[in-house]
Amino acid sequence: MSSQSIILPTELTLLAKAHWPGPTDDGLPPIAGFTVSTFNPLVAEAAERCLSAYYGPAPGPGPTRTALLLTSGSGDLATAAAIAAASADTGRRMPPLLFFQSNPNAVLGHIAARWQLTGPVVATAPATPAAPGEVPADALDLAELLLDDGDADQVLLIAAEQAPEPHQDRAVALLLTSGN
Amino acid sequence: MTGTTTPAVPPVVTGLGVLSACGRGLAPLAEATVHGKAAFGPVPMSRFDVSGRRVRRAALLPDAPPLAEAVLTALGDACRQAAGSAPDRAADDSGTPLLLALHSDLGTARTAARIAEGARREWGIPGVTRVYTGACVAAGTAVADAAALISSGRARRVVVAAGHLVGAGVFAAFDAGRALARDGEVRPFSAGRTGTLLGDAAVAVVLESPAEAGRRGAPVLARLRGWGRSGDAHHVCRPVPDGNGLARAIDAALRRGGIAPEQVGYVNANATGSPLADQAEANALHRVFGGYTDRLPVSSTKGVHGHALEASALLELAVTIAALQSGTLPVNAGWTGQDEDCRLDLVLDQPRPTRPDFALTVNSAFGGANTALLVAS
Repeated sequence: MSSQSIILPTELTLLAKAHWPGPTDDGLPPIAGFTVSTFNPLVAEAAERCLSAYYGPAPGPGPTRTALLLTSGSGDLATAAAIAAASADTGRRMPPLLFFQSNPNAVLGHIAARWQLTGPVVATAPATPAAPGEVPADALDLAELLLDDGDADQVLLIAAEQAPEPHQDRAVALLLTSGN
Repeated sequence: MTGTTTPAVPPVVTGLGVLSACGRGLAPLAEATVHGKAAFGPVPMSRFDVSGRRVRRAALLPDAPPLAEAVLTALGDACRQAAGSAPDRAADDSGTPLLLALHSDLGTARTAARIAEGARREWGIPGVTRVYTGACVAAGTAVADAAALISSGRARRVVVAAGHLVGAGVFAAFDAGRALARDGEVRPFSAGRTGTLLGDAAVAVVLESPAEAGRRGAPVLARLRGWGRSGDAHHVCRPVPDGNGLARAIDAALRRGGIAPEQVGYVNANATGSPLADQAEANALHRVFGGYTDRLPVSSTKGVHGHALEASALLELAVTIAALQSGTLPVNAGWTGQDEDCRLDLVLDQPRPTRPDFALTVNSAFGGANTALLVAS
């Protein structure tokens, strides 16, 4: 995978890494309460694999000052399209679950609650998107800034790109800390 | 335990541009919030069709331009103000980061590209560094990150801009989620509150190091003395009821500011009119301020300008700066009666004349995200 060639700034240390999909993966596990789109399961599964690789099963060691940093050029295309379609027709019912799903913080809250991650919750879109499965340089810069600024001891960085076809969705998650 | 320390060089605000339902500029926003003049009205068909919605009101800019144009107007106002009266000593913005906060939807990339192009053409700013899409803390996070860039010496000057124009999709989603106020008013911290109402806003601030501002003789509108970001680790969309997460963000901001809680003289609250979230926020303030909470003036101004989502933290930073400048604290509009679970020293009925040394503006969002900004005049 291309995600295995990530070059980290010297200020960052990689604790764990995971990606979606792996060679044998076939379909993302659903998350209760999230519908319509593969974006949120994509983000959650990459995070789950990364944190499990470092900590073992959830919830891990207990509360850690780990920031959640999501970067996505595509954003949640399917949810955005569903909201646009439902709102364009006032006679059509808007699914209530799309209310909280309409912003990317929601799935980060799911991950944070499951793994007791109490650091900043940050969702961004890079100015220059990376190729699917890669991590944009901007997100690494921001991870380094968050760690250096002191509100987090670790950063769980998730780069997720949703494609028109779910089998083309790509995500990579890195658990990062400061120093060497 | 946290790693936050008092920054050696806290940034200053030298430019501020704002468009809100109250009008263009800080003065009409300050006037409306100080006197609690709510800006809500029916959403006209010319904006979008709300005939199928339970709630049909919002706080809207009259004749709102496209979102990119609104943000560029605010950005231009901020940059002109920051240039001061000595344009011959204008800053070189060829390396200035532009941190942008927008809602994530099908138009985000297009809007960001238009803003980048306009900022480059008009102000020489090289582009949009990144877009913050994290709901109601998006702009607060961007300001905190801008402050970190400046205080660490990574940048001398950063522009933060944010925009949210009430649109059919988000409005319908909030309506379906029963998040909008059934009675058509936002009543932060009040008994009988039924939810929030959305509002338009486009806001921009120029933050820079005091040395850079001093070199150019730029006006110092306010000093950003502290900032904090935290997560609740509790739920997809509900805040942790005891306010622990927001309290940690406020603690971090106070620690960076190097001040005691009792030195804060005003809190511009996040309170949206949501039954659960307002109560959690009140609990957070009690956790941080203890017995002093009874004497700490608090108001949420969303009862005037509405909830501007990704732009809300920047809009409320503008309100907070106006309060520090004028020495008049804005009213917590919409309040009708005491909620015993939200016992605070709310600024009610009329503006309160006081000139605090420090003010806080706080925001919380889905995912348990929290930000706190500590401002001094």
